[in-house]
Amino acid sequence: MANKKLTLALFSGSVDKLTAAGVILGGAAAEDMDVDIFVLLQAAFAFKKENALTNDRVAELTDNKDEFLASLKRLDTPHWTQAFRTAKEMTNVNIHICGFAGKVWNGYKLDDFIDLADDICGIGEYISSAETADVNLFI
Amino acid sequence: MMTEDLTNIKVDKSVDARGTSCPGPLLAAKKAIGEIENGQVMEVLSADEGTRRDIPKWCTKKGYEYLGTLEEAGYYKIFLRK
Repeated sequence: MANKKLTLALFSGSVDKLTAAGVILGGAAAEDMDVDIFVLLQAAFAFKKENALTNDRVAELTDNKDEFLASLKRLDTPHWTQAFRTAKEMTNVNIHICGFAGKVWNGYKLDDFIDLADDICGIGEYISSAETADVNLFI
Repeated sequence: MMTEDLTNIKVDKSVDARGTSCPGPLLAAKKAIGEIENGQVMEVLSADEGTRRDIPKWCTKKGYEYLGTLEEAGYYKIFLRK
């Protein structure tokens, strides 16, 4: 039986939402789902090599940012890049950088992004993949 | 399976995931299940409340037999047979 498929339109470049995406990817990996991630506008910023590990922006409850980030440390939560990497090791995860989003942040080549990214693609690829997904999310 | 049976069950593989939060214990279970043979028993130690519901559901989907859960002091022992 073919694996089920999760498509994720990943728009956010904030560590709170990226961390949530990492948790969901873990669940998908546990179930051997195929995963296609499309890195859209703000997420492409977070995927730039120079930003991935230093970016500490949060999107929600910003007045509690310090508590949130401290809690991630207290709970020994893997950095979102590590959660994504673990999912890639455990199941078939492909990460596509939206070509337009890349250019917004001066990322023109795959090498401008962290090595989690597999390719740079257009939105048609997302639509095609999402059409056959069992679960489709926008974060 | 009754609780009495679980306390005496022969465990072939023990996975201690008490230091991790969701989905850590589930991923630890997924990694470890590849290291045991069909018919063998694995226990997953988790202090994460969500895991006690996730592992039985995961077993159903993956075709493993969920045997039951023991509540220990501050954590759960979740048993399954591959």
